[in-house]
Amino acid sequence: MSQSSAMQGRFWSFDRAWPWLLPMVAMLLVFTVYPLLYNIWLSFHEYAPLKRRLVYVGFENWQTLFADARMWASLGVTLFYFVVVLIIQLVLGMALALLLDSDDPGMGFLRGVLTLTLVVPPAITGMMFLLMEDPEFGVLSWFLEQIGLLTSSTPILATPATALWGVVLADVWQWTPFMVLIFLAGLRSLPPEPYEAATLDGASAMQIFRRITLPLMNKVIAVAVLIRGIDLFRMFDYVFVMTSGGPGTTTYTLSLYAWQQTFSFIKWGYGATISLLALVIILVIANLFIYIAKVRW
Amino acid sequence: MATVEYQKIGKSFGTVVVLNDLDLTINEGEFVVLLGASGCGKTTLLRMTAGLETVGSGNLSIDGRRVNDVHPRDRDIAMVFQNYALYPTMKVYDNIAFSLQVAKRPEQEIRAKVDEAASVLGLTPYLGRYPKELSGGQRQRVAMGRAMVRNAKVFLFDEPLSNLDAKLRAHMRVEIRQLHDRLAATTIYVTHDQIEAMTMADKIVLMHEGRIIQVGKPDDLYDIPNSKYVADFIGSPTMNFLDGQLRRAGKKVQFVCGDLKLSLPAGFSDQQDGRRVICGIRPADVTLSAKGEITGELSLIEKTGADMQLHTTVENHEFVAIVPRGVDVAAGTSVHFAVQADKLHIFDAGTELRI
Ligand SMILES: Nc1ncnc2c1ncn2[C@@H]1O[C@H](COP(=O)(O)OP(=O)(O)OP(=O)(O)O)[C@@H](O)[C@H]1O
Ligand SMILES: [Mg+2]
Repeated sequence: MSQSSAMQGRFWSFDRAWPWLLPMVAMLLVFTVYPLLYNIWLSFHEYAPLKRRLVYVGFENWQTLFADARMWASLGVTLFYFVVVLIIQLVLGMALALLLDSDDPGMGFLRGVLTLTLVVPPAITGMMFLLMEDPEFGVLSWFLEQIGLLTSSTPILATPATALWGVVLADVWQWTPFMVLIFLAGLRSLPPEPYEAATLDGASAMQIFRRITLPLMNKVIAVAVLIRGIDLFRMFDYVFVMTSGGPGTTTYTLSLYAWQQTFSFIKWGYGATISLLALVIILVIANLFIYIAKVRW
Repeated sequence: MATVEYQKIGKSFGTVVVLNDLDLTINEGEFVVLLGASGCGKTTLLRMTAGLETVGSGNLSIDGRRVNDVHPRDRDIAMVFQNYALYPTMKVYDNIAFSLQVAKRPEQEIRAKVDEAASVLGLTPYLGRYPKELSGGQRQRVAMGRAMVRNAKVFLFDEPLSNLDAKLRAHMRVEIRQLHDRLAATTIYVTHDQIEAMTMADKIVLMHEGRIIQVGKPDDLYDIPNSKYVADFIGSPTMNFLDGQLRRAGKKVQFVCGDLKLSLPAGFSDQQDGRRVICGIRPADVTLSAKGEITGELSLIEKTGADMQLHTTVENHEFVAIVPRGVDVAAGTSVHFAVQADKLHIFDAGTELRI
C-alpha cells in the first residue's frame, strides 16, 4: 500500500504540470476545439432533406454568404447594436461608478443592489421587458408616451424604427451594472496620491477625470469593453424572446439569423457558415482592440 | 506671498492624537523649516495646510483669511509630497507641465518653464519617460519640478531632497532658496537634514509628539535650546549630557558631577545649592588642553576627514569631542578638555527645561 501511494504521489506530484492541466485540456478539446472544427467541416457541407444526410458542397455556402442580403442586413443590425449598447453602457456605467465610488453611508448597499440584475437569466429579462414595453399595458410604453418619446400609434417593439431600441433598453438595464461593478473595482483601487497632487495643481473635477482617472483606468475599461463587446456581438436571447427578429427582419442579429437558417430552414451547413463569419469578425475586432488598447505606462 | 497662521490647531486620527494645541505664525516671504523626529506630525501639518486633511480643531488662516473649509484647489498652494505623488500615466514633461496645462497657459510658455525646471533639476534627458522608468532620486526631482513651475502663494516641501546624493542636494538647496527668494513665496520645508535646516531656514520650528517645542532662528536653536530635547535634536554629533548638581562656593556656582567641577557664569548666582541638573556640552565647544577640567578616558578615535571625533567616557557618561585632525592622542589614555563657561547648557533634571 505504501508503495502504491508513493507511486501515486509521484504521478500527481506538483512539479508535473500536465496531470493538473489534463481536465482543463480535455474540456477545451470536447467543448471548444471539436465544435469549432466540426463547424468548419459543416460549413463545407449542407443537409440534403431528400437524402436525409449531409452532402459536400465545397465553397457554395461561402459564396451564398457574401451574396446574401439578409446576412448583410443582420450583420448591420449586429454592428449597430454592438456600438450603440457598448457606448451607452460604457458612459452610463462610468457615470454610475463615479457616483457610487464613495464611502458615504448606504453606498455599500447600493453597490450590492447592482448585482441583482446580473442574476436574472437574460431570457427572463427579455420577457420582463416584453411585458413592460407592451403597447396596451406596459409600464415603459406608458412612461415613454408620457414624456413624448412614443405615441400610441407606434408600439415600440412593433415599429421598425424603434424595435431595436426596445431591445437595447433590456440590455442596458441588465448589463450596465456589470460595467459599474468592474469600473468600481478599478476606481476603488486607484492610488489617492495623484488625485491630491492634481487638486493642488489646480485641476478641476473634469480635468482630473480626463487626465488622471481615465488613463489610470484604461486597462480596466479595456477589459470591460472586451468582455461586454464579445457578448454584444453574439446577442441572441433578447431578440429571440422580444421580437423574434421582427418586425419584418429589422432586428435579426447574426446569431438569430444563423439560428433561423439552422433550425427553421434546416440549413445546417449555411447556419454554421454564418456562425463562423461571426466568429472571425469577433476575433478580428477583439484582437485589433487588444492591440490598440495595449497602452503602456 | 502670504502669511500662514495656525491657532490652537489639533488633529487626531481616531484616538491617536497627532497634533496638539499648535500655535504658529509664518510671515510673508519667510522660509520656515519644520524639524522633528519621525512620526511627530510634520507631514500631517503640511497636508492640513494644503487642505488634504481636515483641520481637527482650531483655526488655519492664510493671508488672514480662515481657510479651514476652503477647497485645496482654491488655496493656491504648491506641494512636494514625501512620497512624490507623481502622475503614473504621464511622462515627466506632462508631470511637470500639468499645473500649467490645466490653467490653460500658452504652449510656448509651458515649454519654456518646463525646460528651465528640467535643466535646473538635471531632468532634461528624462522628459520623455514615465515615472516608473526613473530612479528614486529622479522621481523626487520630478516632484520638485512640479512645484518649481508653480507660482503659488505658499510652497510646502516634505523632505524634498531626501533621496538625492550629497552633491545634488547641495546644489538643490541653493536652487530652492533662490526659487523662494525670486517668487518671494512663503515656504514651509520639512527635513531631517540638519545642514538643510541650518542653512536654508529663516526660522526653524521644532516639533515633538504633535507639539511645537521651540521656534527660532537656526542660531538661536543651536545656541539657546530651550530644553534638553531641543539641545539633543539640533547639532551633529549630538550634545553631550552630564547628570550632576549645582554647588555654591561663596558667590560662585559650580556644576558638579563626580570629580568634575565646572564654574558657571554669573547668571547662575541665585541658584540654590544642590539642585539636580543636566549639563550639556557640544562636542565642538571643547578644546584639548592639558589643564582642562574635563577628564575623559579615550576609547575610540573617528576620523571624519576635516577633523576627528574622540569618543570618551567622562564620569561614567559618554562624551564626544571634536578636535582638529592630527592632534596627538591615543586610544586607552586619558585626555583633558577645556570648555568656556558660557558654552555650558544647564537643564533642570526633572523638567529638562533650560535654566
Ligand atoms: N491617516 C492616518 N491614520 C492614522 N494615523 C495616522 C495617519 N496619518 C498619520 N498618522 C499618524 O500620525 C503621526 C504623524 O504622522 P506624520 O506623517 O505627520 O509624521 P511625520 O512627522 O511626517 O513623520 P516622518 O518624518 O516619518 O515623515 C504618526 O504617528 C502616524 O502614525
Ligand atoms: Mg512625513
